[in-house]
Amino acid sequence: MSSLPEPTPDEEPQPARAPRASAPRPKPRGASASGAKPAAASASAAKPAAPKTPAKTPAKTPAKTPAKTTARTPAKPRTPRSTTSRSTTPRSTTPRAPRAAQPTTRSKPAPKPQPAPVPKPTALGIRQLYKRFGETVALDGVSIEVPEGSFYGIVGPNGAGKTTTLSIVSGLLRPDSGQVVVHDVDVWKDPNHAKRLIGVLPDRLRLFDRLTGAQLLYYSGTLRGLDAKTVKARVESLVTAFGLENAMGRLVADYSAGMTKKIALAAALIHSPRVLVLDEPFESVDPVSAANITEILQKYVASGGTVVLSSHSMDLIQRVCDHVAVVVAGVVLDSGTTEVVRGDKTLEERFVELAGGRKAAEGLEWLHSFSE
Amino acid sequence: MAAQLLGVTPTGAQRGARRAGAAVADAFADVPRFLWLKLALLGGSFRRSVWQIVGLSIASLYGLGIMVALVGGLIAARFVPQTEIVRDVVVLVGAVAVVGFLLLPLVFGVDDTLDPRKFALFGIPASRLSVGLVAGSLVSVPPAVLAVCAFATVITWAHGFWTVVIALIAAAIAIVTCALAGRVSTAIAGFLLDTRRSRELTGVIGVVLVLAISPLVIYFSQIDWGRQGTGVLTAWADVLRFTPVGAAWAAPADAVLGHAWLAALELAIALATVVLLWLVWRALVDVMLVTPGRTGDTKVYAGLGWFGRVPAQAWSVIAARSLTYWARDSRYWVSIIVIPIIPALVLGSMSVVHAIPGQYLALLPLPIMALFLGWGVHNDVAYDGTAIWLHVVSGTTGLADRVGRLVPVLFLGVPLIVIGTIVSVAFYGDARAALPLIGVSVCELFVGLGLSSVTSALFPYPVPKPGDSPFAQPQNVGAVSALVQGFSIAIIIVLSAPAIVFGVLSVFASPGWAWASLWCGVLVGAAAVVAGVVGGGAIFNRRGPQMLEAAVKAA
Repeated sequence: MSSLPEPTPDEEPQPARAPRASAPRPKPRGASASGAKPAAASASAAKPAAPKTPAKTPAKTPAKTPAKTTARTPAKPRTPRSTTSRSTTPRSTTPRAPRAAQPTTRSKPAPKPQPAPVPKPTALGIRQLYKRFGETVALDGVSIEVPEGSFYGIVGPNGAGKTTTLSIVSGLLRPDSGQVVVHDVDVWKDPNHAKRLIGVLPDRLRLFDRLTGAQLLYYSGTLRGLDAKTVKARVESLVTAFGLENAMGRLVADYSAGMTKKIALAAALIHSPRVLVLDEPFESVDPVSAANITEILQKYVASGGTVVLSSHSMDLIQRVCDHVAVVVAGVVLDSGTTEVVRGDKTLEERFVELAGGRKAAEGLEWLHSFSE
Repeated sequence: MAAQLLGVTPTGAQRGARRAGAAVADAFADVPRFLWLKLALLGGSFRRSVWQIVGLSIASLYGLGIMVALVGGLIAARFVPQTEIVRDVVVLVGAVAVVGFLLLPLVFGVDDTLDPRKFALFGIPASRLSVGLVAGSLVSVPPAVLAVCAFATVITWAHGFWTVVIALIAAAIAIVTCALAGRVSTAIAGFLLDTRRSRELTGVIGVVLVLAISPLVIYFSQIDWGRQGTGVLTAWADVLRFTPVGAAWAAPADAVLGHAWLAALELAIALATVVLLWLVWRALVDVMLVTPGRTGDTKVYAGLGWFGRVPAQAWSVIAARSLTYWARDSRYWVSIIVIPIIPALVLGSMSVVHAIPGQYLALLPLPIMALFLGWGVHNDVAYDGTAIWLHVVSGTTGLADRVGRLVPVLFLGVPLIVIGTIVSVAFYGDARAALPLIGVSVCELFVGLGLSSVTSALFPYPVPKPGDSPFAQPQNVGAVSALVQGFSIAIIIVLSAPAIVFGVLSVFASPGWAWASLWCGVLVGAAAVVAGVVGGGAIFNRRGPQMLEAAVKAA
C-alpha cells in the first residue's frame, strides 16, 4: 500500500512519447502556442518541439531541454485574471480571510479559460525534477510553470509520477535534483516559509484519525500557527462550507472515504494558503460534494489563489481547470491552457493519444461468447 | 452409510453411498489449489526485502529448532518406562498447542490471507471452500511444526500394531483440530470483531490474557518441581485428558497403557471436537460468504477534549493530541498496562529464587517502571504512521513536536514517582531510601525521554498500524527494531549508572550517599532531557521527509 511513490513502470504504456503511426499526432499548434499561452510558455518546454514526424521525435529530449525564457516575468502583484466573465474587484496581497467561508455574490463561478494578454507571475514553478526509487525512475525531468490564479490540473496514467511530483512540491519528498519555487520561495531551501504558502491534500496518507473531526481541524489550524479564536471561527465556516456539521463529533477513523477527503481538504484550506496542492481531491467524493468542492475552489481561484490538482477524471479537469499538464512516465508531454492542450478534441481523447493510445482490445474474443 | 441409515433399497444405498462419496471427493477437489495458493503466498514473502527474508529465515530456523528438539524428545520418550509421565507431558504440551491455535489469532489480529470473504466472488461452493481453506491454513510454519510433532507421537506410542493405528488416527485428529480451531477463531476475530472499535478490543483481549497468564506463570514458577512436579503434572493432565484440547493427545497413550475404554472415550471426545469445530466453521463460512464488512456504531464526542484545555501553541496541541491518543489508541494502552506487569514478573521470579532478601525487593519496582516508562516512547513517531505528513507539511518545529510528545509520559511519570516512592518506602521501612529512589527513577525517566526524543526522529521502525491490534506483527520488521530497542535501553541504564550506584551504596554502605544519588539523578536527567529535546528537534526538522518515507514503507 505504498502510496507516496508511484513506481509501477509495468503499467506505463511504453510508446507514450512516440505515438503510434496509427494514431497520428494532433495538429501541432506551433503558431498559436506563443500567443495563446504566455504564462505557461516555459511549462510548454516539456512539449515536443511541434511539427515533427511523431515517430522520429526523440523520447526525452523535449523534457530535458526546457526553454525557460519567457518563464518568469518579474514579480508582479497578483493581478486578477482578466476574464471578462468575472468581477474584477482589485485584490490585495495581504493575508486573506478564508475564502471558503466567504459568502459571495458572484454567480458565474466557471472560469472560461481565455488567453491572457499579460504573462502572469508564476505561483508555483516546478523545474527539472528528477526522482528515482531504486531502479525505477519516477520523475525524469518534470517542469511545470503554474501561473498565479490558475486552476491547474495534472493528469497522467497510473504510476506516471503525479503523486511523486505533488509530494515534492508540498515538501513531503526530497527530489534527487531540481527546484520547486512557490511565490519566489524555494521549497527545499526555505521550507518553513514555503510551507506557510502551501495548503496540501496528500493522497493515501493517513490522517490523525483517532481525533474527532473538530479536533483534527483545530489541530491542523493551530499547527499552522493560527490563534485559537481564528481557528474556531474558520473551522465553523469550513464545516458549513463542506457540509460536515454532523461529522464533527465523530472520530475521523469512522468517516467514509469521501468524508475523510472532505475533512482533509478543509484542513488544507484552514490557513488560507496562496497555493493549494491537491492530490486526487475528488476521488471517492460523491457528485454533490464534488460540485460543492469545485465551487469552493473556483471562488478561491477567482480571488487570486492558485490550485494545482491531480485527477483521473478528464471530464472534471476539462470542465474545471484552465491549465493542464499531461505527465506520462515521469515526463511532461504537454502543458498549457486546457484549450490549447486539448485543441479540437476532448481532453480525454487528447490524453489517451499522448499516453500512448488506446490498447487495441484484440485477443479478447472469448469474452464475447459467454461461458454459462 | 448415510444411505443405509435412511433405510433405502440396496441399490439405492449403493447409489447414495456413491453420491456421498462423490460429494466428499468434490469437497476436497480444490484442496491442491489452496495448497498451491498458500505456498505461492509463502514464496512471495521471500521475495520482499532482504531483512524480511532474514526475519522469515530466523523464524523458520527457530521453528525447525523447536521441531527437532520436540521430535527428538518424542522419539526418546518411546524408551522411557514411565508411560504415565510421558502421557501427562504430551497431553499438557499438546493442550497448550491447541489453546494457542485457538487464542493467538484473537490476540495477534488476523491472518486474513485465507478469509472466506476474499473468495466470495469466485463462486466456489462453500463445501469446497471450507475444506480448501482449512487445508491451506496448514501451509505455514506453526502448523507444519505441529503436524510433524503430532506424527512423531506415533513413534512414541509405537508399542504394537493397534497402538500405531490409534496413534496415527489421534495425530490426524489433533492436526485437524488445531487447523479448524485456528480457522474458527481467525474467522471470529476477522468477522465478529470486524468493526474498528471491536478490532481494538482484540488489544484488550490480549492484555487480559497477559494478565490472566501471569498468575499462571507465577504459579508454575513457584512449584518445587523436584519434589511435587509429577503430582502437579498428573493433576493437570488428568483433567485435560478428557477435554477437547487434550483428548487426542492422550488416546494412544492410554491404549499403550492398556486402558482400552479410556482410549476409546478420549478418541470419541477428540472426534466430537473435530465434528463440532467443523460444523461451526462451515456455518461461519456460509454466513461470511454472504455478509460483507459490518459497520459499527460510532460514538460521538462533544467539544474539543484536551485541545480545548491547552493554549493554542504547536507544542501544547501536540501534547493534547498525544494525550488523546494515549487515551483512545489501544497500542498505547498496552504500554501503560505492561509497565506494572514487568516489575511484577521480575519480583515474582526473584522471590522464587530468593536472589535478594525480602525487604530490598520493595526498592526494585519503581526504578524498573520508570525505566520502561521513559523508554516506552522511543518509537513514538512511528505510531503516527503516515499521518506524520501533517507535521512535516505544516512546518511544525521539531522542538514543539518533541516537547508535546513527552507531556503524556510526564502526566504518568510524575505521579508514578511520587506515589511509587511513598509506597516503596512504606514497604521498605526506612524513609531515607526515598532520596535514592527519586534520584534513580527521575534519572531513568528523564534520560529515557531525552533519548526517546532522538531515537523516535532518527530511527523510526515499523509498529502495528493505527487501528490494528497492538499485538499484530507489523510487516517489514528488520533487525533495526531490535537494535534500537536494545541500544536505547542500554544507554538509559549506562547514563543512569551513577545515580544507581550511589543509590545502592546509600542502601548497603552508608546513607550519606543518598543525596549524591538524588543530585546525580536529577542533574543527569535534566541535562539528558534538554539535550535530547533540542538535538531530537534538530533531527526532526532535518529528517521530515525521511520519517514520512519510513512511515510509507512501513504502511
